[in-house]
Amino acid sequence: MFDTILYGLTIGAILYLFSTGLSITFGTMHIINFAHGMIYAIGVYLFISLLPLLWGSFPLSLAVAVAAMLPLAYLVERFVIRRLYGDGIDYAIIATYAILLIGTDLIKLVWGSGPKPVSDPIGIPIQILGTTVQTYRVVVFICAVAVFVALRMFFSRHVIGKIVVAALKDRDGVRSLGLDVNKYFSIVFVIGSGLAVMGGVLYAPITVAEPYMGFHVLLLAFAVVIVGGMGNLTGTFFSALGLGQVIALTGRFYPAGADTMVFVVMTLVLLKEPIVDLLRRLVGKHGIGNFS
Amino acid sequence: MLRVDAIDVAYGYAHVVHRVSLGVEPGEMVFVVGRNGAGKTTLLKTLAGFLSPVRGVIDFDGRQVQGMTAEALARQGMRFVNQDKKVFADLTVKDNMELAAYACGESLDQAVERLIGMYPKFASFLEKKAGNLSGGQREILLIGRALVGEPRLLLIDEPTEGLAAIVIEDIFRILRGMKHKISSVIVEQNLSVVSRLADRILIMKEGEIAREIADPAEIADVAALESWL
Repeated sequence: MFDTILYGLTIGAILYLFSTGLSITFGTMHIINFAHGMIYAIGVYLFISLLPLLWGSFPLSLAVAVAAMLPLAYLVERFVIRRLYGDGIDYAIIATYAILLIGTDLIKLVWGSGPKPVSDPIGIPIQILGTTVQTYRVVVFICAVAVFVALRMFFSRHVIGKIVVAALKDRDGVRSLGLDVNKYFSIVFVIGSGLAVMGGVLYAPITVAEPYMGFHVLLLAFAVVIVGGMGNLTGTFFSALGLGQVIALTGRFYPAGADTMVFVVMTLVLLKEPIVDLLRRLVGKHGIGNFS
Repeated sequence: MLRVDAIDVAYGYAHVVHRVSLGVEPGEMVFVVGRNGAGKTTLLKTLAGFLSPVRGVIDFDGRQVQGMTAEALARQGMRFVNQDKKVFADLTVKDNMELAAYACGESLDQAVERLIGMYPKFASFLEKKAGNLSGGQREILLIGRALVGEPRLLLIDEPTEGLAAIVIEDIFRILRGMKHKISSVIVEQNLSVVSRLADRILIMKEGEIAREIADPAEIADVAALESWL
């Protein structure tokens, strides 16, 4: 059972790293960014190509892949996302989905359609509470916690983080101080994209890289962001870890329903208010008293 | 310092401000008064760069600025204080000042010192979340934030709206401290405050400047001002 929980924490960690960028983009720009999946997938393929060139060093290849994807993320933000700001959510979905499709085809063109496995860079099992687990999975979880703590510190202590926190609720207030909000939103967009690449690369040894990997993780990440609260980074962290457990525990007892259960949870969260409202009405109608 | 020449402002097809012209001299405190829906806030937001006039010219320090963004105008020394007393609620009072200081390259200590000089009670509120401040304290924080970096023109929208009489006196004292030191255009409904502070009053009706009052005796006559609205 412990290995299932640890697997859930690892999946949750990957989902958190990927979802943070989505949550930031929605919180700051109110845009659903499908192109995030493209950055994630290309980043992973780039990592796979870099690995043999950089003496097989996993951390170095990861750092270079993340760094290399940042300019592409900036271009997407500057020339697509920012132009769509305020134009309605449908235009953003169409444009960013198009970018995801182009990215997927680019992967097939450059790297081929077949899956590409990545080996576990540590490959050493350890014993925790009497269960044998892969050290790598523990490291992935620790990385996600470290990112969560670092982001919390960035948004509460660094002036750029504070500007973004302020602009999330009062964009015009920040503008009236003379600060160009778009510039700061670009910075956090690029940070979020870098974290997506990091999540993808860390996930590669657990699964395999394939051209449509961006699509699959996007759907799960939307569920994470909706359950955690759009733009709520702390909520995203706990939502990702919670849904990671949902995937792992469902997968243990009913593997075919692992992903589906995530969307069942998401639907329950979305329906929470209407259900509570309905119960209030029913209880009120039958004169039982107030439901709270 | 500020010259506005025949600006029209519209929301889509709805024209809200019609051929408004006005001027503000250095150190002058100009009040804009009028009933709800007269176009006062729209005029102020246009001057601040949050709206663009469909026609007309806005000249700030000899430079045409209509169409410039709000952040660019703020950097040029024109600061806007909004009507809804919206501070950066998730940040502390000190953080609010830090952002203002960062925006204009002033030291945080200097900005905080000025704020405390303006309203000493803030000395014990610096680490308090700005969202927990009272309406009056939020307004004072907004004015304090806008004064960081020594701007040349302050645009303030309804500073005393919805505040208790005792807090209005605090705001009055702060505005009086600014008089002759910094130019300002203030939209205000409280005619008692207006009559005690104004160098000039512009009365707006249905999107136009219906009357301009510069005579001190007329400005001091609250009952007469009321009759113009």
